Amino acid sequence: MDALADFLRVYQTTVGVIGINALLALSVWLTLYAGQLTLGNAAFMAIGAYGSALLGMRMGVPFPLGLTLGALLAAALALPLGLAVFRLRGVYLAIATIGFGEVLRVVLLTVPFTGKALGLNGIPAITELWHIYLSLAVVAYVLWRVQGSTVGRAWAAIREDEIAAASQGIAIRRYKLAAFVAGAAIAAWAGGLSAHLNFSIEPGDFGFTRAVQILVFAVVGGTPSVAGPIVGATLLTALPEVLRPLKEYRDIFAGLILMGVIIYLPRGLVTLAELRKTRRLQEIGVADVA
Amino acid sequence: MAEQLYNAIFVGSIYALFAVGFALVFSVLDILNLAHPVVFMLGAFVALFFMSTFGLPAALAAVAAFAVTGMFGIFLDRVAFAPLRRRGAPPLSAMISSLGFAIVVIRLMELRYGPDLVSYPAGSLPQTVLQIGDARLDGLRLLIIGLAIVLMVGLTYVVRATQLGRDIRALAENPRAARLLGVDVDRAIAATFFISSGLGGVAGALLGFAYNAIYPQMGTPYELKAFTVMVVGGMGSLPGAVLGAYILGIGEIAALVFLPAELAELRDALAFGLLFLVLVIRPRGLLGHRVADRA
Amino acid sequence: MRTRLSAVTAVIAVLLTACGGTPSTQPSASTGPKADIKVGLAISLTGAANIYGPSQQNGAKLAMDQINAAGGVDGAKIALVVEDDASARDQGITVFRKLINEDKVAAILGPTLSGVAAGAHPVAQQAGLPVIAISNTGVGIVGKCDYGACDWIFRASLGEETALPAALKAAKDKLNLKKVVLMFESDQKFAADGADIFKKAAADNGITIARTIPYKTADVDFSAFVTQAKGESPDAILASGLAGTASKVLVEVGKQFPQGLRVVGSNGFNSPAVITAAGAAAPNMIVGTAWNKASTDKTNADFVKAFKDKYGSDPDQFATQAYTAMVVLADAMKRSGNASDKAALKKALEGTKDLATPLGAFSFTPEHDVKQPVFVMTVKDGQFVPFN
Repeated sequence: MDALADFLRVYQTTVGVIGINALLALSVWLTLYAGQLTLGNAAFMAIGAYGSALLGMRMGVPFPLGLTLGALLAAALALPLGLAVFRLRGVYLAIATIGFGEVLRVVLLTVPFTGKALGLNGIPAITELWHIYLSLAVVAYVLWRVQGSTVGRAWAAIREDEIAAASQGIAIRRYKLAAFVAGAAIAAWAGGLSAHLNFSIEPGDFGFTRAVQILVFAVVGGTPSVAGPIVGATLLTALPEVLRPLKEYRDIFAGLILMGVIIYLPRGLVTLAELRKTRRLQEIGVADVA
Repeated sequence: MAEQLYNAIFVGSIYALFAVGFALVFSVLDILNLAHPVVFMLGAFVALFFMSTFGLPAALAAVAAFAVTGMFGIFLDRVAFAPLRRRGAPPLSAMISSLGFAIVVIRLMELRYGPDLVSYPAGSLPQTVLQIGDARLDGLRLLIIGLAIVLMVGLTYVVRATQLGRDIRALAENPRAARLLGVDVDRAIAATFFISSGLGGVAGALLGFAYNAIYPQMGTPYELKAFTVMVVGGMGSLPGAVLGAYILGIGEIAALVFLPAELAELRDALAFGLLFLVLVIRPRGLLGHRVADRA
Repeated sequence: MRTRLSAVTAVIAVLLTACGGTPSTQPSASTGPKADIKVGLAISLTGAANIYGPSQQNGAKLAMDQINAAGGVDGAKIALVVEDDASARDQGITVFRKLINEDKVAAILGPTLSGVAAGAHPVAQQAGLPVIAISNTGVGIVGKCDYGACDWIFRASLGEETALPAALKAAKDKLNLKKVVLMFESDQKFAADGADIFKKAAADNGITIARTIPYKTADVDFSAFVTQAKGESPDAILASGLAGTASKVLVEVGKQFPQGLRVVGSNGFNSPAVITAAGAAAPNMIVGTAWNKASTDKTNADFVKAFKDKYGSDPDQFATQAYTAMVVLADAMKRSGNASDKAALKKALEGTKDLATPLGAFSFTPEHDVKQPVFVMTVKDGQFVPFN
């Protein structure tokens, strides 16, 4: 246990950020699972981060309540947004949600009470690792259960073929909205946790780079299962620390690893296990996978 | 006023060159190429290389930038996208692969040229100023606008009126059918990347000339603008991307000129709010002719 | 699912072990009479701020070599532990934790960015370890900090709160400024900070800001902004932005004001690369800086020569400030009597008084901020020269 304590003394932030990134990856995984490619979760994360931090700092709202209110606020904004972009698919949806994120970022840069470009500083650091990992466990468990339920099957049906799903009587609009709003709430919760992890937030933390990063976690990990986004977020968040000994070359290796993983496992890291299984079966001549 | 319109057309021309290449790869291959900003940056550095090493004049260096970044585009495809095509990977994986590629190239350039601003050799850029009435127009910008228009007319000609253009369009409609019809798909893909990256590289060189300060991370801020331009104009459409570029350029300057000073900070929110509205009201974009339905 | 989850746990465990590395080993004292004194240098060698990190590393290393060559601190050599924060707050915090808990450094210099400092400094404050900020120029770094007490944090980099008003005052005295236009990069933290400081300084000096023009890092065209500024017929332009946009502002001012117009710039203007990029327009610039490279003061001249000999290029302000901080730290270590006693080191740092450095006579204020001469500079023949 001493080794673990020593380790956490140095890497507690990294470990915390891994958990938060896993939550964010799950939030985008949820919408991807329902066939929606959204890049708006960085904006919802910002709403949770700014919402909970402002409620706590300016109005003395307790942390758990602030987190909840931040998530509810994001959900409340996601509902009309989801209705407005309901007809959009694929990259159009992605870019409409980026548009929303950029509008929000400019507002954060302009409105005095969010601190403009200076952001919010001196946010009390009250997020504990167990807050993050308990949240992650709960969210992952719930999503895993939902995946196997009627709702999960409806999402999968919509993702595979929206018209066929509609003809089967699936209320498409309702199911898609549910995924979108729930994803927003999870992202906002993660945002609230991250704001209270290290003292300070600024609008630049929630821009386009972050939006793409969240999507990359989910896709590199793999979208077939709940484990994918968690694996993806863990690997990619730990990578800069693991590669630290490479000094000025570590970006180069990080980029090469990202390319290598996605080229050899285009459906994500979690397909590695399946891939090896199929190969073995092929070798012993059990399955014909062609 | 005339000056501001001139500025708006200049900005629109840079956006157009940058976004047309981005839109071309997307419309033909469904790839969101996040390495496009890197090509933009490389164009500026290739021009620098030709000007400082061989003493080429700026206009010729821009042409050299087109050729070299065009070849680089083919290399990009071979390294980052071709392996994914062979595996039938989903389009999102191509986006991620290009992101990894971009990180590597930017870092290599930083290690080679340093991260700081680099300038073109002294005296290598034209300094003429045109005085028309009260307006002082920068001659260099006229060159940039002219070159942009020539390149875009050339692109339209290639896509509309040549066999290569027909091949590219066939590929965009349906790769499998194109192959069955005898289209040399590999050649068409290579040509797509050559044109796309070449235009992006020229855009970078021209913007570099305009302010005489280039650096390895210079492309990154323009990524979002390319997205915006492409969507406003319509994703399947190259004329749409050009239109979107000039709308964004003119819109940005108009917002600056007409917005009251207190609201000046909301300028960008207007641009992206507009983008959002266009999408909701007309999801295909202004000139888009098909509904994209890809994840 | 259960097996998948356990697989995830296994992956996490492997990664964590991998990044944990080997537990810290105490430096062996067998090589010298005394164990090395470790000093952390947490800077941005990669990422958005990687223009500055390499300069800082060069400056700090030169100081270390000179101090060690002159006998170190009471016979003990100083050993720099350099860590890159990739210009990211999360990594900056981890780097601070690593330096404190694993390397057990005696003090830390850094980090490069104020945004990273906002997260990393509290870690050192909590651990009770002296930190010298070497490039943070924003508000809230020392003295009154947002995160609570910050009495373990010192700052060797001249704050914009001092530099900008000094530059504006000098410009006003010489040019009789009455009406100005303020331009600033509204999506960058330090630039926005600088804009607020300019506003206050203008008010204090009875200068009217006729118009405030915010712009963004990603803006392509700056002529439209300057055209707008021109509409107000200002006596000068105040500009707060990073180096990338600073040169663009200068270039446009050069084009649209052929007769010349002074631009009072923020710290982002204070870079040789900006002078080159701005070309003929560079002499319009007025900037308040912490350092006059051309100063003939012996400490400075020796430093500039040693830097040039070692690296083959001139130092910039970032290198000079990092060098100075290292010199100040070593001086305090010598006076503290015991470099590993953190409270004694802090007390010795507080006692720094008129130390000869390349920045001039260097002291810490009671708020732990730097007290040094301010140099108001302009550009002539491609070099920074004193404005007056």
